[in-house]
Amino acid sequence: MNANAAAAPDRDGAALQRALAALESVVLGKPRQVRLCLTCLLARGHLLIEDIPGVGKTTLAHALARVLGLAWQRVQFTSDLLPADIIGVSIFDRASQQFKFRQGPIFTQLLLADEVNRASPRTQSALLEAMEERQVSVDVTTHRLPEPFFVVATQNPQEQLGTFPLPESQLDRFLMRVMLGYPDAAHERELLRTGDRRDLIPGLEPVLGPEAVIRAQQLVRTTHVSEPLLDYAQALIARTRDRSDLKLGLSPRAGQGLIRCAQAWARLAGRSAVLPEDVQAVLPAVVAHRLERRDAGQFDSPGSGARGNTAEELIRTVPVPT
Amino acid sequence: MSAARAAAQTSRSPLLWSCAASAAAILLHAVQVSVWITLTALGLIGWRLAAAIGAARLPGGALRITLGLALVAGVFAQFHTLNGLVPGTAMLMLMIAIKLLETRTRRDQYVVIGGALFLLLAACLYGQALLWMPLYGAQALLCCSALAVVAYEPAMDEGYFPAPAGLRTREVIALAGRTLLYAMPLAIPLFLFFPRLPGHFWALPAGNDAMTGLGDTLTPGSITRLTSSYAIAFRARFEGRPPPPAERYWRGPVLHEFDGATWTAGRYTPIGVQRLECLSTPYRYRIYLEPTFRHWWLALDTVMRAPSADVRYTDDDQLIAAQPVSQPLNYHAISCTQTRSSAPLFFAARLADTQLAAAPNPRTRAFAVQLRRRAGSDVAYVQAALTFLHTGGFSYSLTPPPLGSDPVDDFLFNTRTGFCGHYASAFVDMMRAGGVPARVVTGYLGGQWNPYDHTLIVRQSDAHAWAEVWLDGRGWTRVDPTAVVEPERLYRGILDLLPNAVSTPARLLHAWPWLSSALERWDALNGWWNERVIGFNYRSQLDLLGALGLRSPELRDAGWVFGAALLAWLAWISWQLRQGTGAAPPDRLGRAYAKLCRKLARAGLQRPPHQGPLAYAQTITRYRPDLAAQVRPLLQHYADLRFGPPSPPTSDRDLRTFERAVARLSVRRGAG
Repeated sequence: MNANAAAAPDRDGAALQRALAALESVVLGKPRQVRLCLTCLLARGHLLIEDIPGVGKTTLAHALARVLGLAWQRVQFTSDLLPADIIGVSIFDRASQQFKFRQGPIFTQLLLADEVNRASPRTQSALLEAMEERQVSVDVTTHRLPEPFFVVATQNPQEQLGTFPLPESQLDRFLMRVMLGYPDAAHERELLRTGDRRDLIPGLEPVLGPEAVIRAQQLVRTTHVSEPLLDYAQALIARTRDRSDLKLGLSPRAGQGLIRCAQAWARLAGRSAVLPEDVQAVLPAVVAHRLERRDAGQFDSPGSGARGNTAEELIRTVPVPT
Repeated sequence: MSAARAAAQTSRSPLLWSCAASAAAILLHAVQVSVWITLTALGLIGWRLAAAIGAARLPGGALRITLGLALVAGVFAQFHTLNGLVPGTAMLMLMIAIKLLETRTRRDQYVVIGGALFLLLAACLYGQALLWMPLYGAQALLCCSALAVVAYEPAMDEGYFPAPAGLRTREVIALAGRTLLYAMPLAIPLFLFFPRLPGHFWALPAGNDAMTGLGDTLTPGSITRLTSSYAIAFRARFEGRPPPPAERYWRGPVLHEFDGATWTAGRYTPIGVQRLECLSTPYRYRIYLEPTFRHWWLALDTVMRAPSADVRYTDDDQLIAAQPVSQPLNYHAISCTQTRSSAPLFFAARLADTQLAAAPNPRTRAFAVQLRRRAGSDVAYVQAALTFLHTGGFSYSLTPPPLGSDPVDDFLFNTRTGFCGHYASAFVDMMRAGGVPARVVTGYLGGQWNPYDHTLIVRQSDAHAWAEVWLDGRGWTRVDPTAVVEPERLYRGILDLLPNAVSTPARLLHAWPWLSSALERWDALNGWWNERVIGFNYRSQLDLLGALGLRSPELRDAGWVFGAALLAWLAWISWQLRQGTGAAPPDRLGRAYAKLCRKLARAGLQRPPHQGPLAYAQTITRYRPDLAAQVRPLLQHYADLRFGPPSPPTSDRDLRTFERAVARLSVRRGAG
């Protein structure tokens, strides 16, 4: 049995590749970030896109929703946004003489939470609880959220005035944090020439559908994880805990997320077993927002060479199992 | 071509660092080799840098080989050999620079930096003075930093995702500094306890321009070269009080033969030691001699016996060593400033030391014969000659006019201006013309007291020449004709006497007291360095071991055991590093994979420990596309076996297939 032969002979495998191609045609010059976003969703995780305005965060989120063929909603977070504005409210219906729950925008398959750090902590935590539980409790009734359910949140690390930065415990709810950064010269020229990329989104074919996404998520879980690979992941996690320059090491939940992402990454590359390279590929996006250096602020400036430095150092200092 | 493009895409930082390290190593030797070698080497480095920014093309293989052969020929043409310290250094400088032109992989950079480190070692053979140590330290730090940059350069790994930035400069220097510090606990015991070979292990044949200090000839005029040098000749530390200034005559080469212009040692054959009676309290002291690349050991006039088995005590009271003094050395000596020898002078010695110069100098001869006849005795004759010098209108000058074809005549009856060399030479010639055995002694007169380490510092500017005459019943007696002309010379150095004689910087140093005080401190520090660090030899090591209570006769064996233990310790560390931290011993698949990686590493494609098999395959495809077809399937196979789902029925066969494929693989090194 050949683990790395172009596996996933089924339609979904091919559809995933088509979805990737479609996304890359809209978000120019960011193949790695696009692949990471898709990986995150296939690993059933929520995604935080962090960067300055105007680099294509929202375009990427739109394109994701469109290509995956999911129902989606967008909420612009502001400081006066209330939990009910997201979750929904119970309204007294005169006709039936009872309270009726009106669903908020969260009842969708893909929720785009724009500038999540502008909302008050109360609203943030309502959203994040819903993300974790995949359900919403209003009054005494519990409403399940649809399947699949993703949150793609964006935030701008530069403008800190009037924002409520997400605390570490909340950041942990996001499986990945992806930064886009400036495009390179060639792609920037292409962007300048072609104008708004958002115009292209309506023209995108939905490649997958909710069922196909769920099937792909199930397929990801079957990706083989060998004992040597678990050794490697454990060594990486252990290293974060004995490093003196980090405030906190990685949690077991982060470790689980790392493996799940590596599985999804391997599947996207058409393989049915996880290699150390897969772990290395997803590691910066999975751990960078969970590790805080003692000497530096949590947010590295976008587009700088220092981005993900801790994660890169981590990779460089842990030998792969042989 | 594709490989060149791939190299251009990698970060330039490792290249910059290795260029800096090799350029610094080359500059360390700039004084030793010809200018063209330094300039060529630096030019080649400049070429490599220009190629890195795209301003020039790197030379092809044929051009590189031609260039290399041409440079070897150039070095050979200059030195007529490739053997020896200076030609070897020159070769290494040029070859490192050429090697830079073909650096592509990490391994190439290691080779270049290794060469730079070797040049640093060679620099230590040229000069071990304390003054150089900060420079050597900085160069060691630079080389280690370059190693760190190359080792940690992620762009050279060709990872699975865009390479992150490498270490920052501050981090690199901190890492290198830390590494050097970590090496100290190993370096210091090695320095102290690693068995030192008795004798001069490092004594290499010195180049011509390395000659300093006294020569083995005296041409009145040649000593000016010494006096303008403020360099230290040696230091002396006395047990008890040092001798008074008028007795600070330090004996060097003794010259017997005169051709009318130049004094040489001549064919004087030692006959036997004249027994000396000591008339004063003997001085006991230790001399710290700077390298002279000559055979003489200096000592206070007159030394009573040879200070070491390595030196011969000649019958004209010189100390002549078998090996030239190529590194700082120190020795203990006992001297008497006033001696007497009552035995008669051997016939052969009398003959040699009354030999007249071939050049006629007729006026001197006639004058001497007349003076001798009038004096009546040898002692009175010596006195009369000195009186003549004292009253004859002679003056002391370091820039005397040139002398004619009868130099002694010209000096004594015409110019009457000169310095120690002229006076000693003329005086001895007069003595011989009058039938009195006489010889010229060269050496140093004086010494500056350094209050910080209680030593007398004798500099090259203290060089001096005087005469010795044989007086029956007293033996060889020192007569310093210069002291008659310029009595101050006994008490003051040339520096004070003739301020214009020495170079301006040296004079300025003496113009301000605080500066000379600082200079004295620096001298004291230098003395400590030469005595304790450079002068730490076999004997000092035995002393140290003795002080630690190890007096066993098998001291050497103990040293070897210590060395072996250190080597074992190093081997253990490197084995540990290879193993990684607490990793299990490799299984069959792991061993086969390690073998594969070793084969590829030998071809310059080393796998960084954190690189997975497929990323490794990508690197190989990028640098050596010719290998991709062979190596890719192997690495793929390994990835399947190691990380793929287990499939028991076939796995053993698969493993054997993999092992055989690894065994069959043969990788050629570097393709264009």
